[in-house]
Amino acid sequence: MNWTTVYVSSVTNAMRGKKVLEQQGYRVYMQRSSHAEENNGCGYSLLVYGTEQAVKAALSKSGIRMIRVEHGGGRR
Amino acid sequence: MIYLDNAATTYPKPPDVQRAVSEAMIHYGANPGRGGHTMAMSTAERVYECREALASLFHLENPAGVVFTLNCTHALNMVIKGLLSDGGHAVITDCEHNSVVRPLAALATKGVSYTMVSVDPTRPYETAQRVRRAIRPTTRLILCTHASNVLGIRTPIRQIGQIAQKFHIPFAVDAAQSAGILPIDMEKDNIDFLCMPAHKGLYGPMGCGALLCRGTYMLSTLVEGGTGSASLSESQPTELPDRLESGTLNVPAICGLNGGLRWLHRQGGVGELAKRETNLLGTLYTQLANTKGIDLYTPYPDLTVCVPLLTCNVQNLPSEETAARLNDAGISVRAGLHCAPSAHRKIGTVTRGAVRICPSAFTTWNDLEKVWKILTEIARNP
Repeated sequence: MNWTTVYVSSVTNAMRGKKVLEQQGYRVYMQRSSHAEENNGCGYSLLVYGTEQAVKAALSKSGIRMIRVEHGGGRR
Repeated sequence: MIYLDNAATTYPKPPDVQRAVSEAMIHYGANPGRGGHTMAMSTAERVYECREALASLFHLENPAGVVFTLNCTHALNMVIKGLLSDGGHAVITDCEHNSVVRPLAALATKGVSYTMVSVDPTRPYETAQRVRRAIRPTTRLILCTHASNVLGIRTPIRQIGQIAQKFHIPFAVDAAQSAGILPIDMEKDNIDFLCMPAHKGLYGPMGCGALLCRGTYMLSTLVEGGTGSASLSESQPTELPDRLESGTLNVPAICGLNGGLRWLHRQGGVGELAKRETNLLGTLYTQLANTKGIDLYTPYPDLTVCVPLLTCNVQNLPSEETAARLNDAGISVRAGLHCAPSAHRKIGTVTRGAVRICPSAFTTWNDLEKVWKILTEIARNP
């Protein structure tokens, strides 16, 4: 299993994504991120212990807009 | 003191609410959605919990559609001005509060007009048909109060919601008097925007409200500013709730509201307390109906027709005088026009207003019996 980082636009989206993933058994950490290029500045990211594909699918199914998803984990 | 002004704001607040506000002041003092430190994150979690609780109670699929506001009036202004800022027509009812009528009147200079249809609580189908007949090609909003703050009578929101859906017109409901009292299902009732205060039937603190958006229509913004997201952009974010939530939230009140929602759930959920209040009020209603010199304006308490509140006058006294005499006896009620002049036109009480008696979960029969005794005394010796 690998870490995946998901960047989202707002704290509400991050909370929502965290809940969705936790309900499916994922280990999730939420953190503040600045991803200037894609999101015009501040946002949040979810550090998820799971594969990129599975995490993306779970969030898409719940209608959570992701700004960027990348393989690997940020710092914890 | 016997407090019966619960249609204005419920008092006292349940211990859960008091505790939640206090805990927020102590433990959740950071700004949610801004920093990334531990307290900012835990505060954001508390705020999100309240969004989830409101979404669940009112059957809104996405908790991100829950926008926190200052109060119900603020939420109604966001809907009205967010949809009609460049003109159009609205259909409203004759039970609306000034929080609906005044924003519409203020938009008259921008070409906004409205049609007010009469609510007949005994003929819901006819009321809904009146709404349908009032629709014009330029109608861009149907907005109705769920329950009148003067007469307590219910508007048939499900039937009106069906009409709005059929004509592809945004449908907004003012739930100031019904949130926490009557069940509301945004999906089944086809409500696009649901406006409510935290501090009435949801037993939360004052200075907080919510606008629940189903995401079917996008509102233009009343206020723009910092959201903690997309900070490099000069444009307001398009996603909810950030689009409509600029500036720091009232976290203690939001935590208090969540405490109110938990407490309400423990009391048996929406509708249970209202049943008890309706029964109590029914007894008072019968006593007052048999008392000479008292005019009742509300229907006999029945949740299928109205929310539990009672409006009356005694002899030919101005309502404020009756309320003052009740106050002298330690009973708090509201008199006057209750910011809803069209409802008073409906019952012919524009000149003297009416006395409104509204119980809460904490009201007992002893309280209402005292009201009956004092009103009887006033009626005998006006």
